[in-house]
Amino acid sequence: MATQSSLTLSSTTFAKLSPHPYLLANLQPSDASTPSSRTNGRQPTQARPPAINTSSLTHAHGSAVVRTGDTTVICGVRGETLTTSQIPNYRSEPSSTGTTASDTDELRDYDLLVPNIELATGCAPNFLPGVPPTTLAQTLSTRVYSLLHSSDVLNAEDLRIYHETNHDDVAGDGNDDDESMQDVADGEDINAPTRKVMAYWVLYIDLLFISLDGNPFDAAWAAVLAALRDTKLPRARWDADREIVLCSRSEAALPLSVSGLPVACTAAVFTAKERLKQTQSRNTGGEKGAFWILVDPDRFEESLCDETVTIVVDCSAEGEETKILGISKSGGTVVGADVLRRFVQVAEGRWREFKNALT
Amino acid sequence: MEVRVAMADRRRVNGPVGTTLPPIYDSPAPSRSRTEKPENAIRKIFLKTGVTPSASGSAYLELENPNATGPSNTSLKLTCTVHGPRALPRSAPFSPHIILTTHVKYAPFATKQRRGYLRDASERDLGVHLETALRGVIIADRWPKSGVDIIVTIIEGDQDRNAPENQHEEGWDTMNVLSGCITVASAAIADAGIDCVDTVAGGVAALVAKEASSPPSVVLDPAVADYYKIYAACCIAYLPTRDEVTNIWFKGQLPGANVTLYNNLVERSLVACRNANRVIVTALKQSITPEQEVS
Repeated sequence: MATQSSLTLSSTTFAKLSPHPYLLANLQPSDASTPSSRTNGRQPTQARPPAINTSSLTHAHGSAVVRTGDTTVICGVRGETLTTSQIPNYRSEPSSTGTTASDTDELRDYDLLVPNIELATGCAPNFLPGVPPTTLAQTLSTRVYSLLHSSDVLNAEDLRIYHETNHDDVAGDGNDDDESMQDVADGEDINAPTRKVMAYWVLYIDLLFISLDGNPFDAAWAAVLAALRDTKLPRARWDADREIVLCSRSEAALPLSVSGLPVACTAAVFTAKERLKQTQSRNTGGEKGAFWILVDPDRFEESLCDETVTIVVDCSAEGEETKILGISKSGGTVVGADVLRRFVQVAEGRWREFKNALT
Repeated sequence: MEVRVAMADRRRVNGPVGTTLPPIYDSPAPSRSRTEKPENAIRKIFLKTGVTPSASGSAYLELENPNATGPSNTSLKLTCTVHGPRALPRSAPFSPHIILTTHVKYAPFATKQRRGYLRDASERDLGVHLETALRGVIIADRWPKSGVDIIVTIIEGDQDRNAPENQHEEGWDTMNVLSGCITVASAAIADAGIDCVDTVAGGVAALVAKEASSPPSVVLDPAVADYYKIYAACCIAYLPTRDEVTNIWFKGQLPGANVTLYNNLVERSLVACRNANRVIVTALKQSITPEQEVS
């Protein structure tokens, strides 16, 4: 791999001893006949193909396993019920018409989505259990949390549990009769069925990394999305007598309506100059130098790059333009507007790969 | 509910402040159909090594569940990663042999009740049992001043989704989990290339009543939900070629404190261990490439 090296070192030894020149030598071969590629044999904009498997867990309402290369993550979604009386800042809505305007507010205000990422499973040598969540685990959880809310993939209507008092109930047994009559009397129209939100489903979205070889966010987000698409919550109603939420076993469970298909695409920026020299050149206002955008970086590449870019795109709207749901860039000064624009196209390609894996 | 006893951990996303409840159903679960397992057999084991390439060694284990009520036809899914042997930190005191650290952790979605992220007493207990089972297998004095971490993550415990609530309280399923942990850890240690005297395997035998009226009988590898009552269970870590037992965990009551019955239970567990060991050996043989075999 490291061509024309007078040293008699194996490429793995070279990679360990001086990782930065090793990756640089692969990307920028001194011999023109050798094609430029990354140390893992991929082209700079080539990502690892994803493999997605759903419904493999028994105790979760929805689950998915996502594998991209050597990064494997399991996501389990579990619904638990939360009564409105337990929500301190609960505002009862005047009408039961499920308006979409307040959807995001309900999910966010009552904190109905609880994503957590666990890295301390020995998925990589530096993530061992018995310690509090690392900064990376915390950051990932927060990023998934905010993307879940900002991308509007879930509909609050799916998570509402109603207490319905209508004619059927009135015609029911004697005990129910009194109560429902009272309830109906509270409303203005006696004939119209009244629905009241009495409880919510809270979705516990737990992610567990089985194996980590770079780019945890893309895999984690794909796992969250696949698991949510797989989630089926049992049909639930409020039992006024016992004041609990009862789920029905006879009726088929309802799948969540997941709108859109946001896909995250991450790239790391590898610069020809090493970190130390880079800061010097920045101070003196020197030229930028060569850089490479490495899409879907592995652990080795991540350790050598300061700057990473993540774009979340959704191309699922037919005939419309690609929706960009989020851009985040951290560290470094290389990526500018034009690079980002080019990167969106890479992300669109990545979206198609994930879409094929999901369906 | 137990999850929330501890002060809210700011380093995780904690969710709403109110108490959330797992779904309560209006009717009891349909009774599961039971396919009889042969007396002398354990449930089918799927074992694969090398699932976590970034670790020194790793393995994944699954048990077949022929009476599945859930979406998948397997119960008990375990992954194990081994990190090491590696140098102990400079601050650590001198050790003439390898220091073994075991961690066993349930995933939040592994059991009927959602688990918290902090290790609870039963997980620590499993970790101690696992350490005892493995310590006798590793040739520890080949690595002075070094340590090895063995981490088992329980992705799915051995519980039936529709089992009645009262049954899993007694924790018989932890016996099966421990035996799985021993088997998977043994495969992962071998995958990491750590010298062992033998491949240890776990096995469980239990004294059960199949129906309310049936007399107690001894079975191998009991799927807890299949039986009316479990009187006693025994989990053993066993080295077949050396005929040695490294760990034995006996739980429950035997009617009339019968010693022969106890011996019988142990003997049956050893049969389960030998069966599991054959799976480990086959899985390890598969992981060897032809050219490695020649050299």
